[in-house]
Amino acid sequence: MKQTNSTPHRKNRERARQFAQMSDNIYLPCQARVDEIIRENDQVLTFVCSFEDVLCNKDFSYVPGQFMMVSMPHLGEAPISFSSSPTEGTGFRLTVRRAGRLTSAMHELKPGDQIGVRGPCGTPFPVRELEGSNLLFVGGGIGMAPLRSVVQYALANRERYGDITVLYGARTPADLCFRKEIGLWRRQGVTCLLSVDHGDENWTEHVGLVTELLDQVQVSPASDRALVCGPGIMMRFVLQKLVTLGLEPGSIWTTLERHMKCGVGICGHCHFEDRLVCWDGPVFSMAQLPDLENL
Amino acid sequence: METRILHKDHLVPLLRRLSRNYRLVAPVRNEYGDTLYSVIHDLDSARIDLDQQPQGSLKPFFFPQSEVLCQYALDRNHDGGQTRYAFYPQLPENRPTLYFGVRSCDMMAVMYMDLIFFQSRGQDIYYARHRENAVFITIGCNHPFPNCFCNATRTGPFLEHGYDLQLTDIGEQYFVETGRARGRKIVEAWSWFFSTAGERERRAQFQAALEARGLFSSLVHVDLAIKLLEEGDEPTAVFTELSRRCQDCGGCAFICPTCTCFNIHDQPRTDDSGERVRTWDACTFRGFTRMCGDHNPVDVETQRVRKRFLHKLLHDVRHHGRTSCMGCGRCVGMCFGGVDMIRFITMMCQYEAAQETGE
Ligand SMILES: Cc1cc2nc3c(=O)[nH]c(=O)nc-3n(C[C@H](O)[C@H](O)[C@H](O)COP(=O)(O)OP(=O)(O)OC[C@H]3O[C@@H](n4cnc5c(N)ncnc54)[C@H](O)[C@@H]3O)c2cc1C
Ligand code: SF4
Ligand code: SF4
Ligand code: FES
Repeated sequence: MKQTNSTPHRKNRERARQFAQMSDNIYLPCQARVDEIIRENDQVLTFVCSFEDVLCNKDFSYVPGQFMMVSMPHLGEAPISFSSSPTEGTGFRLTVRRAGRLTSAMHELKPGDQIGVRGPCGTPFPVRELEGSNLLFVGGGIGMAPLRSVVQYALANRERYGDITVLYGARTPADLCFRKEIGLWRRQGVTCLLSVDHGDENWTEHVGLVTELLDQVQVSPASDRALVCGPGIMMRFVLQKLVTLGLEPGSIWTTLERHMKCGVGICGHCHFEDRLVCWDGPVFSMAQLPDLENL
Repeated sequence: METRILHKDHLVPLLRRLSRNYRLVAPVRNEYGDTLYSVIHDLDSARIDLDQQPQGSLKPFFFPQSEVLCQYALDRNHDGGQTRYAFYPQLPENRPTLYFGVRSCDMMAVMYMDLIFFQSRGQDIYYARHRENAVFITIGCNHPFPNCFCNATRTGPFLEHGYDLQLTDIGEQYFVETGRARGRKIVEAWSWFFSTAGERERRAQFQAALEARGLFSSLVHVDLAIKLLEEGDEPTAVFTELSRRCQDCGGCAFICPTCTCFNIHDQPRTDDSGERVRTWDACTFRGFTRMCGDHNPVDVETQRVRKRFLHKLLHDVRHHGRTSCMGCGRCVGMCFGGVDMIRFITMMCQYEAAQETGE
């Protein structure tokens, strides 16, 4: 196993340190209010949130790729990525798939309810380094949530980025999120290709694996940067395919998922070889991932 | 560095004086014959035991096995909505505490915990509170205990730094080295307990430290193990064998002075209030990395103990330039499956040798 204790790794840590210094008690959540709830599909809701405390709202900032530790009464915390971009106004959005106890309880929330949040945690996508490049997004399932954040960010800073392409796969048409936004993105010139494992009678787009969508786009290794998020197995195939298409591992970015408790690099739960996903990541360049077996 | 002499007869009177300003913690033999670092409430009845290795380390004093981080409370409107969901921190008190009779490995372990809880990452205010007003009087080990291998991890049997005061038993007296400012202050404030060290005592201390190095009963090739792991030679067969023997009890991690992984969970008190608690956790537990939907990115069957050994011997060497095994040998006594640091290193080196000779 080769070690890549490279500079991007260190840089990631610097970014994560910013949050750690922001609050004097890194474990203490503050109160956020759910202002609006958007139903993406049967299993997924988007929560539009803002802080109860006006000062928090004013000081709060994050970068796409980071996440929040979300508290629900008696159920502890779960890490949830920002699905919004800081360019979308104050507050933030969380897009949550009903997966277990805490996320199901979130699905019972109503506008006006409070949740506990702490963060932003983790290292973001390198939005600065990506400037000047074409962005190729490959999302699977709920993995589209953190990518939506970057798409919105890039659209808000349109002149800084080249072509934007979104490849997005889900199990069935009913499992897709952000349907309305995808329409808006298309109107803004974003190439969006969708794919489902099983279509229905209304489905006119691709049926199959999201990797197959990569055959339908022109990938130019010199100017393209890829951002990938989805289930581990899908990521493995996508990453491998991107490399065969000529992309350098250093220009492919992913965000990983692990069991998390503290979110600030202390509790040890989210270990991934010698890294901690909450602190050294969750965003990693593929050059930082020694093997793709355990994504 | 200043050196002094403390006559053994003066030890308890000195501790009595110090206990006016500090809560006192020292290795104490309890009624069951166990020696544990304990808070001493009454110096006259406590049996301070400097002859045995304390069974536990100092870890619980800085990072308690269970600790409330905050309270939470909820208000609901008539629809059951959460109109207030607020968190109130519950910080531990930071009483000045004197840790007396601390072994070198345990002192080094506290310095390792410092790295984890407030140097490399965000400041952990709970740990910081416990740690803030701590003073350490350590004692060198003239006679290392049977499972000790701190010579191989370079964490003992005597310390070169990190202590406030370090004692060496040189017969009728303790030879006293002053380290950090808090130690110097103690010597200055209670100067009448201390006399100046002469050439003879200095030589006695040097002799004791030298002899101790020759008294280790187990030869543990820590450096070789690190080197092999760094070269990328993972002893897969050893991990498989040890994982099979591991019973998932967490004992090794709980007894280890440097295992600091934890869990955080909510403890409801009423329908609308409760506490958020952190408790010790261990990477050998099956559920440690399990995510929802029973997905586990770590293959638990073969990798159960892999993380523990790699973390201590490889990952921490990469990140902090040193192992996080302090050579205290406690896991050797703890594990009934024989899955301990000495066993691992020995098996790994044998495995490597066998591979090389093509056996
Ligand atoms: C960096 C990051 C970003 C994420 N972003 C999103 C997002 O934007 N939208 C979304 O829907 N989901 C996201 N997830 C996944 C989400 O955190 C899990 O689905 C959630 O923790 C499940 O919790 P639960 O209590 O509902 O599930 P349960 O099945 O009741 O609990 C799962 C068990 O696993 C533990 N656990 C801890 N951390 C995790 C984890 N990360 N994943 C799964 N289980 C965990 C829980 O403590 C619990 O013991 C993200 C995960 C990570 C690590
Ligand atoms: S290695 Fe031994 S002490 Fe540690 S969890 Fe396994 S059985 Fe318990
Ligand atoms: S791994 Fe074992 S020998 Fe090393 S510090 Fe922990 S308990 Fe002591
Ligand atoms: S979640 Fe605690 S170290 Fe990453």
